[in-house]
Amino acid sequence: MFLSLREVRHSRLRTTLILAVIALVAWLVFLLSGLANGLATDNGATLTRMDANGLVFEKDTRLFLHRSILPMEMVDAVRAVDGVSDATPIGHLTVTITNEAGNERVDATVLGIDPDSFLAPEITRGESFADAPAGSVVVDEELSRHGFSVGDMFKVTPAGTEFTIVGFTSDEKYNHLPVIFMPVSSWQDLKFASLAESGGIADPISAVAFQGNGSALDAIAKSIDGVDVATRQQVIEALPGYSSEMSTVKTILAFLFLIASLVMTAFFYIITLQKTNLLGVLKALGATTRTLALDLVGQVVLLTLVGAAVGALLANLTAAMIPANVPFSLSNDVVFVYGIVLIVVAALGSLLSVLRIARIDPLIAIGRVE
Amino acid sequence: MTARLSIQNVSKTYAQADDVTHAVRNASLEVDAGELVAIVGPSGSGKSTLLAMAGALLVPTEGEVLIDGEPITGKSDSYLARVRLRQIGFILQASNLVPFLKASDQLEVMGYLAKADRKATRARAAELMDELGIGGRANRYPEEMSGGERQRVAIARALINDPAVILADEPTANLDSKRGRSVVEMLSRLVREGGKAGVMVTHDERMLDLVDRTYHIADGVLVQQ
Repeated sequence: MFLSLREVRHSRLRTTLILAVIALVAWLVFLLSGLANGLATDNGATLTRMDANGLVFEKDTRLFLHRSILPMEMVDAVRAVDGVSDATPIGHLTVTITNEAGNERVDATVLGIDPDSFLAPEITRGESFADAPAGSVVVDEELSRHGFSVGDMFKVTPAGTEFTIVGFTSDEKYNHLPVIFMPVSSWQDLKFASLAESGGIADPISAVAFQGNGSALDAIAKSIDGVDVATRQQVIEALPGYSSEMSTVKTILAFLFLIASLVMTAFFYIITLQKTNLLGVLKALGATTRTLALDLVGQVVLLTLVGAAVGALLANLTAAMIPANVPFSLSNDVVFVYGIVLIVVAALGSLLSVLRIARIDPLIAIGRVE
Repeated sequence: MTARLSIQNVSKTYAQADDVTHAVRNASLEVDAGELVAIVGPSGSGKSTLLAMAGALLVPTEGEVLIDGEPITGKSDSYLARVRLRQIGFILQASNLVPFLKASDQLEVMGYLAKADRKATRARAAELMDELGIGGRANRYPEEMSGGERQRVAIARALINDPAVILADEPTANLDSKRGRSVVEMLSRLVREGGKAGVMVTHDERMLDLVDRTYHIADGVLVQQ
């Protein structure tokens, strides 16, 4: 690094330019992954945050909560399977709610849960509906942006059933819609007007969420008939729209990395070509290809590291300025992993320059060889 | 006593299709400690090829080059790089300094490449630069120095790893005769005082009174004057 550090310091304009390019690319990568994560979170935040290892669905319902109907007894059946430590019911329904004044209509996802189970949402304001009178619900913070607050009533259309908000929770979204948590019984009344609608099941639920060890999933699939079992991640990936949203973003990210690596590879290759004579002189003086190559790769890694750090800083600044209704979620883990990927990609690209260095003949240092 | 640099019956032949070029024919040259030898010849005479072979940059077609009695022919590239680093000091045409290194770093990079002790290298660099009258230029980049100063930095760089052999390729090429003369005088003194074997390739006949022996080369044939 003796040469690199001094070269970087001396060629300030060049260093600034390459740092700017790397920082902008890194910024774009971080921003895009933040938006991608935001979208993913927005779509399945509740599933992402759910403290469950997997879910049990009615067979052949494509892991869709809205299609699956199971009897309540299934909860005990699942709980009884070896490897399962706990199981709890979950009910799902997409609704439209209207405020008391009747001037605000919001689409939402109703999730019927047992408030004492591991599915109970974290209350950020107000209280849980566990000890509250019937008709009490906990809703996602997004509803407060539509003017709802603790104590407010709303109607679920078209039936007109009334509910009271007793508490708020945050980052609970399903299918991009804010979640309304209520007791399973309230959800059953909403979803099934008659026994016929639940396919003759007296005490219906949508699915069973369970906690357990690594073998629990296979054990459930083996011992219970008529169900599909999936990990939480599989359920998230099965969400309507999820995979197409993600594949779009992932394609863009892949191209970004490709472009970043090509830009950096070309940049450093041209710099190396430009230094051919100098590198020949250094080799004539006794520098080995190994030393010069390590020096170059070191420089590439150093510049990418600094550039990525600047990009991460910019991304965090941007994240702070992004309006709250734009889903954006950028974790330090993601920044770290993508930063490392950028560095690895840049280091791989610099191997082209290393090949070039290896081919330089120190003889060029001696004037006009006949 | 063995000669510090010994070139024995060295030839370099380039074969291209049916055309065979004899760049150097059966040249022999011995340089003892403290001697500065000049090789003069027109361009295309083979003097650079001979210098490249003496400097472990080019493998002779025939013959052998020995430094302090050790043959350097038939060795690997990395071995030759080590020989160039530790046993040979190059003073290249137009000094060929690294543009992004300050004068002191031009010398210290040699210690870095040789994995020498940093402090010792730094002390030796300062000492050498003082000795060559460029102590005050330690923090200057090549572009901020005169041609004569740059060439002195190049001489100091050639000396810093205490090599057996000093090879100078047209060291006066870009200097006026007064400055060129002072560079060669300095080279001659350093070779003598340091007990090095010095070889200078030049076309500048005005400097020949400063060297111990002069060889002429023409069409690859080396002849002592």
